[in-house]
Amino acid sequence: MTTSALCPQAVEVKHITSEPIDLPGLLSASHHPEAGAVVLFSGDVRDNNLGKNVAYLEYEAQEVMASKLIAEILEEARIKWSLSVAVAQHRIGKVSVSEAAVVVITATPHRREAYEANRHIIDRIKHEVPIWKCEYFNDGSKKWGGNCNCHEITGSANKHIYESEKQNL
Amino acid sequence: MKVEVYAVLKEYFEKEFTLQRSFDDIHSLRSFLISENPQAEKLLNISRFAVDNEFVDNNYSLKENDHISIMPPSSGG
Repeated sequence: MTTSALCPQAVEVKHITSEPIDLPGLLSASHHPEAGAVVLFSGDVRDNNLGKNVAYLEYEAQEVMASKLIAEILEEARIKWSLSVAVAQHRIGKVSVSEAAVVVITATPHRREAYEANRHIIDRIKHEVPIWKCEYFNDGSKKWGGNCNCHEITGSANKHIYESEKQNL
Repeated sequence: MKVEVYAVLKEYFEKEFTLQRSFDDIHSLRSFLISENPQAEKLLNISRFAVDNEFVDNNYSLKENDHISIMPPSSGG
C-alpha cells in the first residue's frame, strides 16, 4: 500500500491479498480533506453458520479477474456517488474467526452517499466477483458455501439481486 | 486448450487440465464436460466461463490456445 499525505485519494490497495487486512492502516489512509464522512465496512468471519460451529474459512479467487472487477466496481461507484475515496480489499487463503475477510471504505462530503456507495460496493463484490469461501467446521466437515443463488430467481448467472436494493422493492 | 476450474468445481474436475480436441464454442465445451461428469451438470449450467481472463458468453468461438476459467457462482464476502 502506498499513501501520500498530500494526495490522499492516491491510496493504492491490492484488491486481493493473502495477508491480514490492515483495517486501522487502511482507515487512516482514507481520510480526505473534502470528505466529512468515512464509512468502513469490515466483513468478518463468524464462529457459526447453518447451526454449525465454524473453525475457519478458506477463500479462493480467480485473482486476475477478481482484482480487475473490484477495480471496475470501485471506479463505477466513485463516479456515481462522487466518492473522494473508494477502497476495497478481500482476503484469500485461511481466515480465522473474527478476522476481516473483506473491507470496503468509502469517503464522501456527506454520510448518505458514503453509506449508500459502501453497501452497493460490498453487494457487488459478494455477488459478482470470482471469489469463493469454503467453510471448515469444528466437527471436521467442510462446505463450499454461501453461493450466490440469484440465478434461481433472475434466470441468469449475470443478473443479481442486491441486498441494498431489496429494501426498496 | 487449457481449462482451470475453481472452488466447488474442483470436487468434480482436476484443478487444471488440457483438452486435446477442439470445441466450437462455450456451449459445446460445457456439453462435453457434462457428458464427462453428469453429476456436475447443475453446477456447470450456472457457472461463468472466461477466456484469457475475460468473461465470455455461450456463443464465444473457442480457439486452440484459449485458456478457459470455469467459475461457479461467487461466495465471497
